[in-house]
Amino acid sequence: MFYALLAISLMAFDYRGQYVERFHSLATHLVEPFFWAVDLPFSSAERIALAWRDRAETEDRIAELELEIFEARARLGRLDDLQMENAQLRRLLDTTLRIDQEFIAAEIASVDLDDFAHRIMVRSGRNDGIRPGMPVIDSSGVLGQVDTVLNSMSQVILISDPAHALPVQILPGGERTIAYGSGTLEQLRLTDLPMNVPLNPGDLIVTSGIGGRFPPGLPVARIESVRRQPGQPFATAHARPLSAMARNRLALILRPVPRPGNPAPETQGLRPDDASSAAESATNESDETAESQGTTDDGEAQ
Amino acid sequence: MVVPMVTIVVAVLLTIAPLPEAIAAWRPHWVALVMIYWHLETGNLRSLGAAFTVGILLDLSTGTLLGQHALGLVIINFLVGRFRNRLRFFPPWQQALSVGALLLNERVVQLWVIGLLERGWPDWSWWLPPVTGMLLWPWLFLLLDALRSQRRAAR
Repeated sequence: MFYALLAISLMAFDYRGQYVERFHSLATHLVEPFFWAVDLPFSSAERIALAWRDRAETEDRIAELELEIFEARARLGRLDDLQMENAQLRRLLDTTLRIDQEFIAAEIASVDLDDFAHRIMVRSGRNDGIRPGMPVIDSSGVLGQVDTVLNSMSQVILISDPAHALPVQILPGGERTIAYGSGTLEQLRLTDLPMNVPLNPGDLIVTSGIGGRFPPGLPVARIESVRRQPGQPFATAHARPLSAMARNRLALILRPVPRPGNPAPETQGLRPDDASSAAESATNESDETAESQGTTDDGEAQ
Repeated sequence: MVVPMVTIVVAVLLTIAPLPEAIAAWRPHWVALVMIYWHLETGNLRSLGAAFTVGILLDLSTGTLLGQHALGLVIINFLVGRFRNRLRFFPPWQQALSVGALLLNERVVQLWVIGLLERGWPDWSWWLPPVTGMLLWPWLFLLLDALRSQRRAAR
């Protein structure tokens, strides 16, 4: 009886409070050998397969990749041009410059966590420079953010977790809102949209950059359906995440770049749990932009 | 006491080992099965505290809320302790049925927790693990029995 009550109260505190959450992430270090042991056969099999691949096959692969890089470079060359133009325009408009992101590539570990926990393990941890709160993306969209960091692995919370909220912007209209996880991998929920928001299935959702954790403009999802129920104060919409949601082999972890003149964004309070905190960080963000505008002005004055 | 601990750790590893998508939903609750065996046959791991500790270990490994699996295992251990004398003398198939019922009950408890957290409602495949557990029980029983008698002979 005592232990059942203990278990229930632990769950409640883990869900709501901070102390148990901190204990949880510390205690996860204890089971790191388990993750490592389960993942070991898979990671070493990959390494062995790589070592045993025969020469002709490897050369073919290199040729293929070289061609791909060549094409990608050609495309990037055009982008560089655009970026320069963009920077000039932004300077003319006196807004802050966008900063290039740094990536850490991380392999997704072969560890099956609970289906309803909406978490995955990746094969990089504190030793690789991963810190809690870093955004995680894959080649097609936002995956989630780093939750618990162990020495050589870390846990990533997916955007589909109901406890996860992501400040986003809906593209053609530019409407800003928050995308909540729905508890299923294939769906996100947008619950607080104004009734008259111009919104259609197929619209692209990108991160808005409000809150300072995710850089703006990363693709997140596509709108699937919109519901405007008469009598309700807000319209709701469902969206389908663009990323492969952990069915990929690789993920990219974004390293926050400290802004010139501003300290790096803080990484406390992992989940932007409700709209009010997002609104709070929104005001912070606008302060920040104001500040950094000031610094760019100074820079130009010099 | 070493052998039960080792088997529990192996059960935890089996729980987080990746399975092909087609059979992942059939993964039985290994830790509960192993714990029931030791409780029934040797009385090791019979305290509720042991069940709680094992459950916390499982929670940490699977990334669930702390206490979610612990609650289920504590309830299982309590029920096994209550009916131990009867369960021990059941023929294997009847024992398998009772173990199936215990696992089903644990599944209901988990469903309750997940429902409270609003983590989405699981589909019918949610009820498959108790079935696998029930079918596996006689074989797991024989396996662990063999392991135990081997250890005893070696001593």
